[in-house]
Amino acid sequence: MKRVVGVVLVVVAGTAPFWVWNAYHLHTLIMAGIFSILAMSLNLLLGYTGQLSLGHAAFFGIGAYTSALLTLKLEWSPWVGLLVAILLPALAGFVIGRLALKLRGAYFVLLTISFAGVVSLVSVNWMALTQGPLGLPGIPPVELTLPGLGAVSLRSKGAYYYLVLGAVVLAYGVCRRLVHSRLGRALVALRENEPLAESVGVDGTHYLVLATIVSAGMAGAGGGLYAHYTRFVSPEVFLFTYTVTMVIMVVAGGKGTLAGPVVGAVIFTVVPEALRAFASWQWQMLLYGILLIATLFFMPRGIVPELADGWADHWRPRPRTP
Amino acid sequence: MEPLLQHLLNGLLLGSTYSLLGIGLTLIFGLMNVVNFAHGEFYTLGAYVTFAGLTVASVSFVLAIPLTILAGMAVGAACERLLLRPLRAASIDTTMLVMIGLWIALQNAELLIWGGVAKSVPTPFSTQPVVVGPVSVAPLRLFVFAVSALLIAAAHLVLARTKLGKAMRATFQDRETAALMGVSIERIHTITFALGAGLAAAAGALLGPVFLVYPSMGDLAALKAFSVVILGGLGNFAGAAVGGLLLGVAEELGAGYVSSGYRDAIGFVIIVAMLLCRPSGLFARAERVG
Amino acid sequence: MRHLVQRIWALSLAAALLAGLGAPAVFAQPGEPIKIGVIQPLSGPVAASGSYVRMGAEIARDWINGRGGVLGRPIQLLIEDNKSDPKEAATAAEKLIVRDKVPVIMGAWGSSMTLAAMPKLEEYGVPMIVETSSAASVTKRGNPWVFRISPPSEMEALGLERYVKDLAIKQAAFLAVNTDWGRGAVTAFGDLLKRSGATVGATEFMDQAATDMNAQITKIKAGPSDTLFLTTSVEQITLVLKQAQEQRLGRKIITTGGSSSPSQLIKQAGAAAEGTYHLLFFLPWFPEAMPDGRLAKAFVDEWQKRGHPFEGLTEGFRGHDGILTAAEAIKLAGKPDPKAVREALWKVNLMGVNGPIRFEKDGPAGKESGQSRPSIFVVQIKDGKVALPAFLAKK
Repeated sequence: MKRVVGVVLVVVAGTAPFWVWNAYHLHTLIMAGIFSILAMSLNLLLGYTGQLSLGHAAFFGIGAYTSALLTLKLEWSPWVGLLVAILLPALAGFVIGRLALKLRGAYFVLLTISFAGVVSLVSVNWMALTQGPLGLPGIPPVELTLPGLGAVSLRSKGAYYYLVLGAVVLAYGVCRRLVHSRLGRALVALRENEPLAESVGVDGTHYLVLATIVSAGMAGAGGGLYAHYTRFVSPEVFLFTYTVTMVIMVVAGGKGTLAGPVVGAVIFTVVPEALRAFASWQWQMLLYGILLIATLFFMPRGIVPELADGWADHWRPRPRTP
Repeated sequence: MEPLLQHLLNGLLLGSTYSLLGIGLTLIFGLMNVVNFAHGEFYTLGAYVTFAGLTVASVSFVLAIPLTILAGMAVGAACERLLLRPLRAASIDTTMLVMIGLWIALQNAELLIWGGVAKSVPTPFSTQPVVVGPVSVAPLRLFVFAVSALLIAAAHLVLARTKLGKAMRATFQDRETAALMGVSIERIHTITFALGAGLAAAAGALLGPVFLVYPSMGDLAALKAFSVVILGGLGNFAGAAVGGLLLGVAEELGAGYVSSGYRDAIGFVIIVAMLLCRPSGLFARAERVG
Repeated sequence: MRHLVQRIWALSLAAALLAGLGAPAVFAQPGEPIKIGVIQPLSGPVAASGSYVRMGAEIARDWINGRGGVLGRPIQLLIEDNKSDPKEAATAAEKLIVRDKVPVIMGAWGSSMTLAAMPKLEEYGVPMIVETSSAASVTKRGNPWVFRISPPSEMEALGLERYVKDLAIKQAAFLAVNTDWGRGAVTAFGDLLKRSGATVGATEFMDQAATDMNAQITKIKAGPSDTLFLTTSVEQITLVLKQAQEQRLGRKIITTGGSSSPSQLIKQAGAAAEGTYHLLFFLPWFPEAMPDGRLAKAFVDEWQKRGHPFEGLTEGFRGHDGILTAAEAIKLAGKPDPKAVREALWKVNLMGVNGPIRFEKDGPAGKESGQSRPSIFVVQIKDGKVALPAFLAKK
């Protein structure tokens, strides 16, 4: 069953630019793709280590600014920009992880909030580097040099969609490998019972740092993709609402699962746009809040786990009781 | 020397507002372990209730404050019964997300009802500042400082000295045993949340007149409140109070002597330094933080 | 039972998803309204300002439709909220252009919102009338689809130049909101002062959401400046004035940016606002003094008739002038086609509430944007009322 669903999804996603109604909807899908990468990255921390990072927008923003600055000021290729957009936030993740050392729970959360706050203020005030609140407009689009075709600018929506789709698949693959590897098992052990895990030799801090590095790097990749798509970054990328959105996507989608964040990202990117179409501006966000509460009421463990259980129950042979 | 004294006074007054925001949240987050992202909205609600009371119902200022506290407690109790109790078994992240949904819904409801224009709350105090040597301060702010101190002391007494407080502490330390001892767990949850919301509403009632009342006023306040609560030690009133004052003074001095643009960053850096040196907070007894 | 409820809810969400993705655009028929897109911050910290612009736009729409509309068809405003987030501004622009097929947009209030939406204008070839943003880069980026009717900070500073001597400014301190608008004003007015022989003292900033500016005020008070330039939204101006009174700052205060609403300041800051000067682009207290006094007075009357707060007039007129310009351009173009409307915008020459609207070329050659030259005024709050400053009243 899972396999069939998977194949259908791949076909649907893979052919999207051809059957999706118009460019605006394709834009929505591209944003959903970028946010699913972000949600997957947050899920690595929140879902698998159990630690909540409320500063995740910082890694996203650092990735966006890094790629933007390298391609604008130094005129490097956007591909290199994207690569560094992964590496620099990963380094930041390393720093955070090491700083956190023995911090867990609420204290880790506060550390991440503070980190995001500082980075946000630096982006606003360090005018010489980031142009502050004016932002960085005119970021060059990603270019692909294909043999025979020469340089193809990935400016068109369809082309960018495939780039993002590829990145989503890659990110999903990375998460999958990680979760099923030794690192993944260690993380889950730490999440479930850290003292017990440590007593059998699993080094909590070491694995948390590792998880933070990968998580931050992935968020940075999302940031880089965002920068080259919207072609404008400003300090607003560090807004708390971006982090909140990521948290919503992970928890409502189903934290600790692989598909959860992706489902959450797609739903919570499309629903606000659907609200834009159906509700006047006064009611949009109010309805969004109510929808969110209702979703969690009916599916407290997240959409994917609840539906998966429901499906499993449906197919489980019912015991014959007299 | 003059500016320094004024800065210190500013910092203490600002810090007292942070403390006030923190004590309500330390009950909800510190004791009940609910990541209450809607805390800022109870604060905003308190401000709007006071505004409505003074302009629409023509209640006196002194009466408006306790009325607002009651309103806040009522709304808090309702939220606990309707939203939190059914989800008691769910994970902390799910309740956090429900609170986020409540935050979004409440703020946008306020925007819908009141509009985005900031409202000014009329107070009986004169706007002429009280001058003491080189420093000056508005009478309203002195009043707010005094009432905040009173509320913090009262809350601390309730928690530490009364039977209710004992029941609250027992419930959140060890539910099963408390239940065995005859404590009604459900009632305690509702009361604790209501108290936390009521304190937030009180902060709104007091600070609405100092600043202005508008739908998004709670966002920044809630963030500061979380910092103060964690700094002071979860569930620790004295910690939240002192933590708030310290944060206020640090921000004020940072803005005055280092850079106003980086003002909030200084607060954050101090928090990070704090976390690295004394991770369990200023006043908490040594507890496992990892 | 639980699973049933869950499945129903999941299906509803999926339906919402498909609906959001699947709803097709409507094809325009003659006689059907001409749609004009409006992107404003309608939620978040500057929701009030966005609302005022919207209210002004709606007045313009109703007046135009009352006169028979444009090209025999009524105009319809499609209003989108950019939630003070550049990403949302860009998405709103995309939706208006692609799904609703608007021939022209007005927006997006804040400069970073406008800058974020600008690539979409070029991508699809749709013009946008910028009604509030003040960053120079909006018209200097070489985007030929941008037409601005609000003044960039440099132009605003020029508007003050002739009064610098009258205001007797020797050294000025700055307190500005930490956004492109605040920073742009600090640079522009700083340059103006230096040109006029004055010096620049302390320069302080505040976060857009900040409510406590006492630290900055204490610092400015410790310096020798005689004037304070204040650039931020009316709520923060109210707070700064109150806190300045509390600390007995005792300096001449001049607000810039046009968003301060002296009426609201008098109401909310009271005595603290006494004596302050304000740079504005509309004088709702003396509409007869505006370039088209009759139109200005009619606008003020209609605004009050609708029960909108008087304080909002200093920003609301922008919405009116923007829509008026858009309608005129569509009329001159002869059809609601974005490219034709863009050509027509260069030919627009009309009188708005603020004054004459006519676009001049601005920016790199070959890709110029349009920039109009709005009128700029100075008022002072005296005896709890708005008045022309003494040196102006004499002239």
